[in-house]
Amino acid sequence: MTLSRRALLKTMAATGAAATSPGVFAPAIAQAKPVRIGILAPRSGIAASAGESGLRATQWAVERFNAAGGIAGRKIELVVDEETNAKDTIDRFQKLVQQEKVDCVQGIVSTGVGLALGPVVEEARALTIFWDGTTQDGVDEKLPNPKYLFRSTDNECEAVMSSLLAIKHWKGQFKTIAGINPDYSYGRNNMAAFVALLKRFNIDHQVITEQWPKVGTMELTSHVAALKAAKPDLIFSSLLFADLPVFMKQAHAAELTKGTKLVFPAAGWQHTLMKKDFTPEGMIFGHNTLYFDNPKATPMQKEFVAWYADKFKDYPNWEADRAYFAIASYKEAVETAAKAKGGQWPGVDDVIGAMVGLSVESLGGKGSWRKDHIADQTFVQGFSTHANKFDFVTLDPARIETMYSADLQKPAGANFWDWLKTAQFKI
Amino acid sequence: MSGQLAAFGNLLVGGIFHAAVLFLVAAGLQLVFGVQKIVNLACGSFYALGAYFGITFISLALKAGMPAWMLLPMLLVAGLMMAAVGPPIERLLRTVYDRDESFQLLLTFALVLMFQDVFRFVWGANPRSLDNVHLVYGRLALGDFLVPVYNLMVIGAALLAAFLIGLFLKRTNYGRLLRATAENRGMAEALGVNVRGVYAAVFTLGTLLGTIGGALVVPTAAASLDMAVEVVIEAFAVVVIGGLGSMAGALAGALLVGLIRAASLVIYPEFEILAIYLIVIGVLLFKPSGLFGKAAA
Repeated sequence: MTLSRRALLKTMAATGAAATSPGVFAPAIAQAKPVRIGILAPRSGIAASAGESGLRATQWAVERFNAAGGIAGRKIELVVDEETNAKDTIDRFQKLVQQEKVDCVQGIVSTGVGLALGPVVEEARALTIFWDGTTQDGVDEKLPNPKYLFRSTDNECEAVMSSLLAIKHWKGQFKTIAGINPDYSYGRNNMAAFVALLKRFNIDHQVITEQWPKVGTMELTSHVAALKAAKPDLIFSSLLFADLPVFMKQAHAAELTKGTKLVFPAAGWQHTLMKKDFTPEGMIFGHNTLYFDNPKATPMQKEFVAWYADKFKDYPNWEADRAYFAIASYKEAVETAAKAKGGQWPGVDDVIGAMVGLSVESLGGKGSWRKDHIADQTFVQGFSTHANKFDFVTLDPARIETMYSADLQKPAGANFWDWLKTAQFKI
Repeated sequence: MSGQLAAFGNLLVGGIFHAAVLFLVAAGLQLVFGVQKIVNLACGSFYALGAYFGITFISLALKAGMPAWMLLPMLLVAGLMMAAVGPPIERLLRTVYDRDESFQLLLTFALVLMFQDVFRFVWGANPRSLDNVHLVYGRLALGDFLVPVYNLMVIGAALLAAFLIGLFLKRTNYGRLLRATAENRGMAEALGVNVRGVYAAVFTLGTLLGTIGGALVVPTAAASLDMAVEVVIEAFAVVVIGGLGSMAGALAGALLVGLIRAASLVIYPEFEILAIYLIVIGVLLFKPSGLFGKAAA
């Protein structure tokens, strides 16, 4: 076959026109290039370990999904950047959206960053799924019914669950309570939620001291001495950064933990550092949405934990589950929307439409998305035990409790404190 | 010991323990500023380096069969070893000795960031800690008064360091050379003092105080990426209260910060940080040179 110069030019022009026409070739072109997912995760500072855990889970998910064909036939490509302070993270978010042209942004652990980033996400009209950040100022939602943003469960879920467990198991066994909680909205709201629930269930109690160490304080002997001086029956603590094992170690050295009931809703963030040497058995210990050694774990969780342990000589915390839930939700929503469009790659609005009400099997259990774009996930807590093969505490298999966050977080539009007074809790 | 007295004793020891560690870091900061006139923000990184390396060193030593009672001397050895980073860093700082203070601050702050990346690279982002090995020395118990003996040993080590530094600066020839260099570098140089050597020695000693502080605190605490910045902020409060460049000031400032913090935790915990900075503001208003500092000419 011979091709004249005129015929060649005509063919090239037709090909060029077709390629720029979205109705004809766009899906084929789209499927040839990878889906780009931007990740914003802390890699230094107090939340670095959480960011690392989330990133590892994302990488595991991407390897797995890509091996099975990617998302709706397109391979996944990650563009990883760092979550730091609100201002710089917003700059990086805009870079991911405008320069890197990512299809979806995922990540964010800090509430402060999430709160600032929320309106920027809406303005940028970029589908974004938070791992752990919220858009609450304290417990008040500042971005109700966003369009492009999907955010994690309320921060208070774990405190509500721990409080319910303490009431269920220890009612009548304590009166004086003390708190040691991080000095920011998370710690303050968790302590307040605990006290509010004690009132709600008519538990006779007296708060005798409340300690508010600055986040990241690594020398807590004076706090321990102050708590010891107060002699509480029960200590409630939502410490969750590196200061948590330090507190536990110093509390053990001062024998503060001896005979005192302990309620630690967020201890699972540092679970591998909660060594048996200084962490007592029988404390209420929250693993949030992923308990790595859950006897009822799905085969997928078991596979992930085994991969994580083998590769990093470590065990994942709940941030891994949050990250997996984000990327698995995105994959599921894109594929559902693509199916509805007869196999065409869906637009952002289609994906958002598919996300609402979507239910996904995450690493730690079922998760779903509410109409107001807030996640519901499965929470696991229980009582610490030394009876395991590790050098840190795990949960007593006979006393593991699982709750879905639909029973732990306020419904859309509700005031948290009013909801605590009227909610029907399943204790 | 009766309940209230024991509670007071526990609080007092807790406050002094915190002060002891803070003193070591602040003393390094003071020494370097006193002689070299450099505000070394990286002193917090030396503290973190001592902590991280202390954990690795002790973990390896325990695996190799080190008896647990050797913990304290081995931590001192770990701190000493890490002081080896002092001379090369001092060499780097020579480039800014004669430049504006802002360059010095920028360079030492850059070191803080670089060290943080090194820690993340070597030890990872997760906090590191030792098991309860420090309880090998037991606890001192008098009724309700209960304190780990290790904490008392750290307090003793800090006091010994303060005494030895004082002795070194006031009673030895080299100490006199340091003080002479601090007073008038030009004159000292003219009289044949090897100022470069003095600077290297002082900076290494300052580094040593930081690394030992970190190594000694880590059995009761943990090493984390942000610990350097945390301690620098408190060390600066100590320095402002005590007076920049004064060793006695570092001791008094650290004690004041440690005890005020402990007292506020019992009286009104919300005041923990505020109480310290109220003192800082008071000192800045009424005695800007600090309790033991020399007023600027």
